[in-house]
Amino acid sequence: MTPPTLSETTPGRDLKRRFVWVGLAMIAGMVALAVQLYRLQITQGEEYAAKSVANFVKEVRLRADRGLIKDRRGTILVDSRPSFDAFITPAFCTNCADEVLPRLGELLGWDEPTRKKMEDQIKAARRTAPFQPLPVRIDLSRDEYDRINARRDMLDGVEVVPVPHRNYRTGSVLAHVLGYMNEITTEELEKLKSEGAYYALGDYIGRRGLERYFESTLRGTDGVRKEVVNARGRVLEEFSDKLGNDAVVPSRPGNNLVLSIDMRLQEEAERAFPGAAGAVVAVDVKTGLIRAVVSRPGFDPNLLTGRITPSQMASLAKDPLQPMINRISADHFSPGSTFKVITALAAYKSGLFRPETVVTCPGGYRLGARLWRCHKDSGHGPVNGKTALQYSCDTWFYKVADTIGLDPISEMGKALGLGAPTGIGVLAEVPGIMPSSEYHNKASPGGYTKGMALNSAIGQGDDNVTPLQMAMVYAAIANGGTLYKPQLVERVEGLDGEVLQQFNPQVVNTIEIPEAHRKAVVEGLFATAMIPGGTAYRAMVQSGLQGISVAGKTGTAQVATLGAVRLKTHQMDFFQRDHAWFAGFAPAEDPELAVVVINEHGGHGGADAAPTAMAVMKKYFDLKKQDAANPPPRQNTPYVSTLPDAPSVNDVLTRTAVAGGDDAVAD
Amino acid sequence: MQLRIERRMVPHIPWGLLLSVLAVSGLGIYNLASASRAQASPVWTSQAIYLGVSLLIGMVVCLVDYRVLHRMALPIYIANILALIALRFIGHKAKGAESWFVLGPIRVQPAEFMKIGVLLMLAKVYHDDFKPGDGSYGLKRLVKPVAVVMVPFVLVLVQPDLGTALMIFLSSLTVILFGKVRWYLVAVMMAGILAGAFIIWNDYVRDVPEPRTTIVRHMLKPHQSKRISGWLDPESDLRGSGYHAAQSKIAVGSGGMSGKGWKEGTQTGLSFLPEQHTDFIFSVWAEEQGFVLCVLLLVLYGLIFTFGLGVGFNARDRFGAFTAVGVVAMLFWQVFENIGMVIGLLPVTGITLPLLSYGGSSLVSVMLSIGLLVNISMRRHMF
Repeated sequence: MTPPTLSETTPGRDLKRRFVWVGLAMIAGMVALAVQLYRLQITQGEEYAAKSVANFVKEVRLRADRGLIKDRRGTILVDSRPSFDAFITPAFCTNCADEVLPRLGELLGWDEPTRKKMEDQIKAARRTAPFQPLPVRIDLSRDEYDRINARRDMLDGVEVVPVPHRNYRTGSVLAHVLGYMNEITTEELEKLKSEGAYYALGDYIGRRGLERYFESTLRGTDGVRKEVVNARGRVLEEFSDKLGNDAVVPSRPGNNLVLSIDMRLQEEAERAFPGAAGAVVAVDVKTGLIRAVVSRPGFDPNLLTGRITPSQMASLAKDPLQPMINRISADHFSPGSTFKVITALAAYKSGLFRPETVVTCPGGYRLGARLWRCHKDSGHGPVNGKTALQYSCDTWFYKVADTIGLDPISEMGKALGLGAPTGIGVLAEVPGIMPSSEYHNKASPGGYTKGMALNSAIGQGDDNVTPLQMAMVYAAIANGGTLYKPQLVERVEGLDGEVLQQFNPQVVNTIEIPEAHRKAVVEGLFATAMIPGGTAYRAMVQSGLQGISVAGKTGTAQVATLGAVRLKTHQMDFFQRDHAWFAGFAPAEDPELAVVVINEHGGHGGADAAPTAMAVMKKYFDLKKQDAANPPPRQNTPYVSTLPDAPSVNDVLTRTAVAGGDDAVAD
Repeated sequence: MQLRIERRMVPHIPWGLLLSVLAVSGLGIYNLASASRAQASPVWTSQAIYLGVSLLIGMVVCLVDYRVLHRMALPIYIANILALIALRFIGHKAKGAESWFVLGPIRVQPAEFMKIGVLLMLAKVYHDDFKPGDGSYGLKRLVKPVAVVMVPFVLVLVQPDLGTALMIFLSSLTVILFGKVRWYLVAVMMAGILAGAFIIWNDYVRDVPEPRTTIVRHMLKPHQSKRISGWLDPESDLRGSGYHAAQSKIAVGSGGMSGKGWKEGTQTGLSFLPEQHTDFIFSVWAEEQGFVLCVLLLVLYGLIFTFGLGVGFNARDRFGAFTAVGVVAMLFWQVFENIGMVIGLLPVTGITLPLLSYGGSSLVSVMLSIGLLVNISMRRHMF
């Protein structure tokens, strides 16, 4: 084939016209680009400008310091300490698996599986959130911190950051009252956000007790610092001028709580309480402010605040003593003989009984075909209202119940706050049970019978009270009939100690108790503690209380149904043993402090509960004398615990086995 | 062989074209100096060296009479194809594609040169094929040019280098259309484009529950498929495949009317744009210089295309005319696709922006093209 000649291949007019078309098409293409540019840069320019700012401005949260919790004298019980936590930012961790992690593992003493687990975690995070620092170890020891710091330049992407961590200085003491903190859940997060509170995932939030109840008070307001970051998340200081002048909004620390608890009294209560399980409540009878409160066994809030291992959690949950339950108000017990003051008041109120009314106790009370036994089989002989309380003679109260029935007793109990929550708020509460005929008609098979009234009259049967309720009952009797709401917090203070909120005494109910009735009951309680033969007399003498008269009542609440043979305490299995109660107040003539002690499965009220109460009362009056002579203490001194460990069940069992046998005092 | 520039050629040097090219190149280096400030080493100095080298290469191309190239078109074409095949065995892998030869310090991308080889071969076919009085091309006559295009197109596509394959396809298509095609074939092609649009709509846009019945999607590699979905909805996956598209739109849009100022762009300075000095170089210009100077750049490109087509318009023979159209079409499609992708009109493909993007191979291939145009222009009256 011969190539075409030149004249044949010279572009003709036809070809030239096509050049014009191609040129026009290309210009149209350029115009299309210009139009889109106009849309992006002019029409939507502002929108994209805002997006580009959002791109490089990173907002760093400045966490607010959480408020302190102090006792009434300003001793710090809960504050925050720096926890040195090691983080790895996957994006900045070059050669993570080969170099950094083995080195870090060596410094922190990791074993092979731990290192492998970390490696996997970081590998996963590298894909999902490469710029999110991943905690690899919390609470480094001083040594570990120094070691990591010294090799910092060999550990790319590893940083140690001091993170404020809640520090419960009292350990397991007051744990139920103070509460603890742990990570917020997604549902809570959404709920709080809808209420306008700002939380982020991974934040800690108060659980239980004061930490939960006063969460919004303690929390404070977070601040924010804006930073310029590049696409790799690195902060670039030299670009800070692009941020404008609101680059930093400082955080506002949370407010401090000042409790009504006196830590010195609290310590004494902890030390004096011998039981492995139980509660002590000491309350100011004129205000309802709680001065000391023990719930045993406790838990360590330091551990529960993000430091607990799954196995520790499991052993807490499996513990038969259920340490997570606060026994002050979230568990109820048969009150036993401590309930008898209510029966006595109801008896006097009915007009059918007077303090002088004598009933002869042959060791029991026959109702129909059944004999209701008095705890003293040989009988107390003739007893009146006062001696009935002093000796805790059941027969006198059986007679009352037989005569007036259950409902007047129930009414008196309810007027004094039984069967309903006290309204303390800070603590979880159960209402307890104050049975009435109506209650039995509903709840018991066969409905209400007189026998139920007899049981309830001596604090058995379906009677159930929380230790806190009982303390408020005795406080109301002590102050002449005013039922206060129990409170744990005296005031909320700002950062500089200014009072932001003062909690004043709140009256729940005022009960008409004629002075004669009250006097008769107080005399009976006085005799119980102060006159030989009274069930708490020995405890009072042994405590060394001098010049202070105590009015109180012991109680021994049966837990297991009595068999034909009465067992000695030390022969019984722990969980079969009776609860030992004491409830009382002092001074008898002008009461200030009411104390309730329940020693769960402790044995007898006189031997196993009353001494604790006596020790608390003695300490209270000693401190009062001491404080009057000395200037007020320095505020904000951190609390240092001197307490021994709380006794365990085994300690209690060995102790009673040694002392066993001679504690069969009349109750 | 003539390896000299005669005096009578000088008046025919297309000064407008050269000035526009030099202007864009200058803006390119100025822009690179800003774009590469986040890097450890400023790349604009090496780009300046590349520019000098590629200008020299372009000049060398001017020296050779393009009729020599006409005779050499087939060998050049075959040599390029052999290079592409060799790449399959001894190529250097980068970003999942084998597209580089490493020759000491120089990395050569054969696909860049293949583009020009195809266009030369195509021009030769259209030159040799000419019979006076011919009408438009029918199916039978199209076999030859289409075969010339398909071989390198497939070779580049399987590298896989979707972007360059697309460029070969588009510029060749322009040349073939320029060579006049029967109207029914054009109609078929339009139908094909509509079908392609339907496939994209069906595979990516249509809101149906997974697993959807797809026509093509399941045959694409995941990273290619993601590019298409990222283009369709860049905001949906900001950290993933749509990241480039979204960040580049933000960069362009935030430039506004007058831009943030040279070296003041935050998207650029804070590295929110990956590959900002190569494929996404235009977003740097748009962010820092704003709408007005963007339009100026578009006008300069428009001038290059117009002067380039003018060279073809005045060319002495069909080979020259077709070569000019092919070369200008190649530049046009690169500019259009690159800027289109940066401003969110087109999906993200790995296409560099002629004269602005950093990179020696790209610059050399552009200067080769310009050299060809100058060559054709200078020899328009040589008989």
